[in-house]
Amino acid sequence: MIWYLFVPLAPYLLWLLWAAAFHPLPLTYNWRSIWQRWAGTLSTVGAIAIVVMVFVVVLSMAQGVSKAYVRSGRDDQVIIMRQNARVEMMSSLSLAQARLILTHPLIARDGVGPLATEDIIVSKQVALADGSGAMSVTVRGTTPAGIRMRSQVRMLQGRWFIPGLSEAVVPQKMLNRYTGVELGRSFAMAGRSWKVVGIFDGDGSVYDSEIWTEVGDLRQAFRRYGNDSSMAVRLRSAADVPSFIRDMEQDVRLKLEAKPEPAYFADLGDAGRPMQVLGQIITLILTVGAVFAAMNTMYATVAGRTPEIGTLRALGFRRREILASFQWEAILLTALGGLAGAGLSLLFNGIRTGTVNMNTWSDVSYAFSVTPDLMAQGVGFSILMGIAGGFLPAWRASRIPVTEAMRS
Amino acid sequence: MDDVSVRLRNLAKSYWRGSLEIPVLTGIDLEIPRGGYYALMGPSGSGKTTLLNLIAGIDRPSGGELEVCGHSLNGLNDDELAGWRSRNVGFIFQNYNLVPVLNAYENVELPLLLQDLGRAERRERVLHALSLVNLTDRMRNYPRQLSGGQEQRVAIARAIVHDPELIVADEPTGALDAKNAEEALILLEHLNQELGKTIVLVTHDPKAASHARFQIHLEKGVLDRTVEVHDRPVLPRLLT
Repeated sequence: MIWYLFVPLAPYLLWLLWAAAFHPLPLTYNWRSIWQRWAGTLSTVGAIAIVVMVFVVVLSMAQGVSKAYVRSGRDDQVIIMRQNARVEMMSSLSLAQARLILTHPLIARDGVGPLATEDIIVSKQVALADGSGAMSVTVRGTTPAGIRMRSQVRMLQGRWFIPGLSEAVVPQKMLNRYTGVELGRSFAMAGRSWKVVGIFDGDGSVYDSEIWTEVGDLRQAFRRYGNDSSMAVRLRSAADVPSFIRDMEQDVRLKLEAKPEPAYFADLGDAGRPMQVLGQIITLILTVGAVFAAMNTMYATVAGRTPEIGTLRALGFRRREILASFQWEAILLTALGGLAGAGLSLLFNGIRTGTVNMNTWSDVSYAFSVTPDLMAQGVGFSILMGIAGGFLPAWRASRIPVTEAMRS
Repeated sequence: MDDVSVRLRNLAKSYWRGSLEIPVLTGIDLEIPRGGYYALMGPSGSGKTTLLNLIAGIDRPSGGELEVCGHSLNGLNDDELAGWRSRNVGFIFQNYNLVPVLNAYENVELPLLLQDLGRAERRERVLHALSLVNLTDRMRNYPRQLSGGQEQRVAIARAIVHDPELIVADEPTGALDAKNAEEALILLEHLNQELGKTIVLVTHDPKAASHARFQIHLEKGVLDRTVEVHDRPVLPRLLT
């Protein structure tokens, strides 16, 4: 969070605010001076805008990834896996264990049956629409209960798969990026041909990155008899979650690991982390450049306005008033860039793309999520750049001896 | 209150170039009465601008005593000096030194921003100062939209808006043509005679110096002689 960086600067910022409130030199003076040299101003504003845009977009990417995972979980649902499996794909669960779990009294039921599903997770290479190759995509074999439990998933076009027919359904959002999985087409997997019979929407959850099919068909195709990946169950209430988890872990016949869905998906959401770190390194490098650009502009301003500074000092303005004035001018300059950059970052908002989740080694689809909070952080970041880049020139402006300033 | 505006005792100023001391002023003793009108004259390098800067409190002496407008400036720190200037001194410069991004009104208002005044009172004083220099109709113009003569009149309004006791002027007519120079000199005369301002003027221009009541001649950093001006030109009545 960018706001922590303001803490060590708090005394200086408070002083600047105080100076602005009781400022003998009005900020309009700085505002007009900025536009006096509009060419230099625009290039500096542009540089800051690009840095702030990159900063906000990187954060929005990470936020988009974790949002995809956060949307996927429910408080009252639990995922059950082999111990230390971490992800569903790495887990396996015997049929006997599954039967036993199904008898647990805390599992909720709807009109059809218990809300519990045994899923198999495999992965398949699917060709990218832009022809640049193929990516690993998660394929989930699930049950009718599994469909009912994931209420964010809605059928848009076509119908759900029918058991025994090797049918699959594909998320709408996958169609933008992948080819060969459109409605009505067939794809090969595990020596069989699978027909796409439906297009669904996962409402931004991780299910938007998964192809779904019937678990029994997947079991046969991959010859996984009596050995599923994981189970998901809905409990009567979220309050039952701890005791259910304890049963799963302590029952000697099970010895399984159970996690509430939100916790499970939050762990997976770390997928955004490497990207975020990389983005921060790039931002840092760009920031150094932008701070120097701002500093350069401000030094040029101070040099060009030396006689003006001398006049103000002669009239009785004190050093600290000159310092505050030029510091504010630098902040105005970079904050303009910050606002522009935050605005530019909106162009990325909602753009959908994908990345490889380093936990599951398969593609996860997400949308850039530029929120007001991230934009505010971008503007805050630009203000920090203004303080960093403006301090030395402002200090210099305040230290020029009056007689020297008048002479130049 | 003392009726001496400027009192200098054995004042000296030198600059250092490395270990070499370059004296600019030595042993200056001078008293300028309140309401005096003095011209500092002398060839280039005689130290007249340095002396003016010392009197105006924008430079510090190397030795001697300096008392201006009833305050000893020797012991003041930088901020105190700035505060003293903002209350006691009005500046007029050769190149006007108006702030280009501020219009005439805002330029004249600058010294008042340092006083504890409300907006309405500032406005009243700015308008009064602008009317003294006959520029009320140009107050929304920026410096680049004014002629040199008008710019200098704005600068004169800025020098008097906060009602200082002392006005220092460094070559105020240096950049003006004869007609505008005349007009600026008429204004200074008015400030001196009718508002009772003490004026210290640095000039090369004998015509400008002829308006002063005394001419102080500097030669190589020492006071050479002080001459009283007897036949001052008769000026037309003010524009206002």
